[in-house]
Amino acid sequence: MKPYKVLIFIVCCFASLAALCVVLPGRIAVGDKELRWPTLAEVFEEKESAKSLESLDSLETLETTEPQDTAISEGQDTIAPKPKPPIPKVPVDSVTDSRMFLAAFYASLAESSDRVVRVLHYGDSQIEEDRMSQQIREKLQALYGGQGCGLMPLAQTIPNKTVHQQLRMNGRFVQPAQGPRRYLVYGPKRDQREDGMYGVMGQVTMMNDSLVKGSEEVTAVCTPLIPTAQYTRWKVFADTSIHYTFAGDTVFLSGHGAVYGLSQESDKGVIVDNIPMRGCLGLVFSKMDGTQLSSFYRDQHVKLIIMQFGGNAIPFNENPGTISGIVKGLREQVQYVQSCAPEASILFIGPSDMLTQEEGEWISYPMVSYMDRLLRKMALEENIAYFSLFRWMGGAGSMKRWQEIGLAGSDGVHFTRAGARKAGNAVAEWIIEGIKN
Amino acid sequence: MLFTQFYFWAFFALVFALFALIVERPRQSRSKSKVESRLHLRNVYLLFVSWFFYYKTSGLFLLILAFVTLSDWIIAKNLSPRCSTDGHWQSDRAELFTHPREGEKAPPRSKRDFSLLVLSVVIDLGLLAYFKYAYFFTNMINDLFGTGFRVFDIFAYIGNGFSEAGRFSVDTIVLPVGISFYIFQVISYTADVYRRRIQPVKNILDFGFYVSFFPQLVAGPIVRAEEFIPQLYKPYRLSRRAFGIAVFWILNGLAKKIIMSDYLAVNLIDRVFDNPLLFSGFENLFALFAYSLQVYADFSGYTDIAIGVAMLMGFYLPMNFNSPYKSQSPQEFWRRWHMSLGRWLKTYLYIPLGGNRRIGFGTYFWLSLIAFVSAALTGWWWQILVPFGVFIAGVWVWDHWIGKNASVERRKLLYANLNSFITQVLGGLWHGASWNFIIWGGINGIGMIVEKIWRGMNWHVRMACISLLTGGLWLAVYYTNLPAWRLFAVWASAIWIGTTIRYIWWLVTPYSGAVLQRSGLTAKRSYSNAVTALGKAWAVIQTFTFITFTRLFFRSSSNLDPATANEVAWATAKNMVNQIGGAWNNAIIPDFLWEYRWVVAMFVAGMVIHWLPTNWKRRYRLAFSAMPLWLMVIAVCVAIVVIYQFVSAEMQPFIYFQF
Repeated sequence: MKPYKVLIFIVCCFASLAALCVVLPGRIAVGDKELRWPTLAEVFEEKESAKSLESLDSLETLETTEPQDTAISEGQDTIAPKPKPPIPKVPVDSVTDSRMFLAAFYASLAESSDRVVRVLHYGDSQIEEDRMSQQIREKLQALYGGQGCGLMPLAQTIPNKTVHQQLRMNGRFVQPAQGPRRYLVYGPKRDQREDGMYGVMGQVTMMNDSLVKGSEEVTAVCTPLIPTAQYTRWKVFADTSIHYTFAGDTVFLSGHGAVYGLSQESDKGVIVDNIPMRGCLGLVFSKMDGTQLSSFYRDQHVKLIIMQFGGNAIPFNENPGTISGIVKGLREQVQYVQSCAPEASILFIGPSDMLTQEEGEWISYPMVSYMDRLLRKMALEENIAYFSLFRWMGGAGSMKRWQEIGLAGSDGVHFTRAGARKAGNAVAEWIIEGIKN
Repeated sequence: MLFTQFYFWAFFALVFALFALIVERPRQSRSKSKVESRLHLRNVYLLFVSWFFYYKTSGLFLLILAFVTLSDWIIAKNLSPRCSTDGHWQSDRAELFTHPREGEKAPPRSKRDFSLLVLSVVIDLGLLAYFKYAYFFTNMINDLFGTGFRVFDIFAYIGNGFSEAGRFSVDTIVLPVGISFYIFQVISYTADVYRRRIQPVKNILDFGFYVSFFPQLVAGPIVRAEEFIPQLYKPYRLSRRAFGIAVFWILNGLAKKIIMSDYLAVNLIDRVFDNPLLFSGFENLFALFAYSLQVYADFSGYTDIAIGVAMLMGFYLPMNFNSPYKSQSPQEFWRRWHMSLGRWLKTYLYIPLGGNRRIGFGTYFWLSLIAFVSAALTGWWWQILVPFGVFIAGVWVWDHWIGKNASVERRKLLYANLNSFITQVLGGLWHGASWNFIIWGGINGIGMIVEKIWRGMNWHVRMACISLLTGGLWLAVYYTNLPAWRLFAVWASAIWIGTTIRYIWWLVTPYSGAVLQRSGLTAKRSYSNAVTALGKAWAVIQTFTFITFTRLFFRSSSNLDPATANEVAWATAKNMVNQIGGAWNNAIIPDFLWEYRWVVAMFVAGMVIHWLPTNWKRRYRLAFSAMPLWLMVIAVCVAIVVIYQFVSAEMQPFIYFQF
């Protein structure tokens, strides 16, 4: 075949595809799906790998996103780009340093040489494996004393990089899934219980032979994996019907009842508990028994409660109204936690930047920025501190940069261990800086 | 500039337009010299186009490419030319690149030639080591001696001297795109000239074109000089059928890369490998198998496009993948997977080590080095070096004393196993500079050895071995209940079941054969064919499973330094094994299959297409190539529109099935 014929073939292919770009309006409805094809302008436009990073200064100004043109074109079988609801403006007070709402916690640190000052770190999958909590713990313990990694469930289904746990029933090692029956306030319906008695971790393990054979006698071997998590002493939070003893890194439990958590902790200094709730929006606290929470918060000297939620709302919601509704729900949860722990300060950590793919390009979910602003506004109105992970990272598109330098996973949602370390250190330093100020 | 980007194809269209003008066939009346000058012009044109392509891909690393081109060309040119039996230099030979003539005996190479070869290899591998293994070696030295060395990019430092200060960062060494491929190409060239397989190329521009030809520059296939250089002196020739096949390869490659690879990766595989603990055992296992398909689709898709693009310009690149997951053994897999690398390693590493003929200094040296590096990386000095020392001493004693009178087959088996193990480990290291790639290569090497030994066993021994292994693993599960043991126990049980069935078949074959013979030959043949097909299918599944599990160690982020890469790779492998062996949750399988139905469908479709009989594939390729041109244009457009749907598809959102 002569080269000029090959060239003509190539030109014909290009011309046909270009003609499609001209003729087709971008998206064609095919049943409930749509056929996508770029316009010529889209083909030639210089696409950025991610939206440029917003500067922190610009983030302090008010959101001025204009409503997008959502007009549907006249062709009956074609549709314009997916109509997206306009994102409303959210006036944010950028002057107030919200750390002033941590005053109660800061004051309690003075007592850390005599007794425990407890920090509970609730969050979604971003804090699994003791991510971020570890850095907060290490920094605070370095300054105010304290030892031990804090609370852990009896059946640790999600491994933890600070403590490795193994369970034995009837003298045999079992996998956590084969261990005693667990109930989760943030789990699917089949794993929830009606009485709300989940304990402070939002999950309870039932030592009960009728649920899982052999679960009346359980041994948990918890091996610290890092020096700062070295064993000091054990606490077991369980029904009075549960008897326990411990030796070294092993806890022996027997009886019939609920176990709300084990804890390795000193009797003085700062204890930071990592409480991950996978897939959770943060709207579950009010399902947990208030009396039980109150007594724990009071008896265990809980002085700071960190709530890190919001990320799970982003991928499934494009409507600002829904996001606003979720933030309203989070406000109610904050109020509920405040009512259970009136002496504790609350710090809310908003979602990180998150990426999705649009037309093959990684872009930030537009709702992250919106939610971040709503959360900050809510926090200031409820007198709680707020740390914007999104703004600290660098705003929209920063997750792309984090991916490139190995700080975020390729899903564009979760941090890598290095990323979590960086974020955890930032939060810890931010808190500590507040003490100095 | 990637093959999957619009800009590459626009670039290619422009390149081809000028290319067509240059290579348009000269009229008969034109003289031979004019034809040759046209060829030369074509080669020079493609050389500069390739350099432009590389510049757009890698910027100033073009200078590295130019440097190795120049150095190997000069060294090869200074190797003594080939001489014939009468001792005359063969400067007048018309064909430049042929094997030695019949009766022609090449005289031994001089020490000077050997020194030149060594110089070339040192320069080439030195550059590769500098760019690819600097972090690896620095990290190892720091681990060994407790030092705190950091990498320092000398090229960036020099570059800063010629430009504004601080333009290039001296603290990081960036890996030039495609360096592993073109370094291997130039080594093969110089080695082939040294071994008198080919004559040195006279014109540096021709040689530069061979090294830099843009379709295969970035990701292979690794083209050996003797396969490619003769094509430089042939006029453009593309049959109608070859044209159709070339277009088919390009579309096939794009579909593999974008539909099979990128779609699966973005929507499931990446997120599972990044965070295995977020997913159940079943999801992890599915992602691991899908990753096997992704790696294949990604790499082979890229080389399919390279082959197609080169073919349109009248150049023929070697086949790089031959349906590797149809392999019935690990050994066969490595004959079908990344074939150009396999051939390279066989020619320039395995055979020089001794192949199945001998073991010598090279074998002992590399084995010792592998043991030393393993000990240094793990810190298990005595645990590794002592058994290894005993093993090496045992091999030496057996080779020189006890086994002197052993059969040739047994000696060949030992030699081949040792040399192929080294080849696999070094092949692993070629893929990436961290120990997970060494482990990956090692597991592949051990897999090949075990499979060879297994095939050599009789059925009674096989049955006894697998029964003992399975029983032992279940005992380990009983006493420890560790996920890794559970995983291995289940896998061994599957092999045990298959082996038992085959063992029983083997035991009853004489009897069943006699019975079947009485019932008629046809029945026997069809019965036997069915059993053979089942046996093959079983072997294919076992091989695919083995290769898939080796990939636990294959995936590592290339943008990480080795220390972090090691940590990430090890954590990923450990967590995936923990989940597969420990957090299996049957209840969520239907939910997963439904929510990820498109991902599952893509995986199933990919495997079905992969396992289609070769004849079927050949038929539909030929049918495509025989299409009228106007229909082919329509087919191309339809294919591109379909592929674009996957490029622009919305991401599968995160769904948690496990809490």
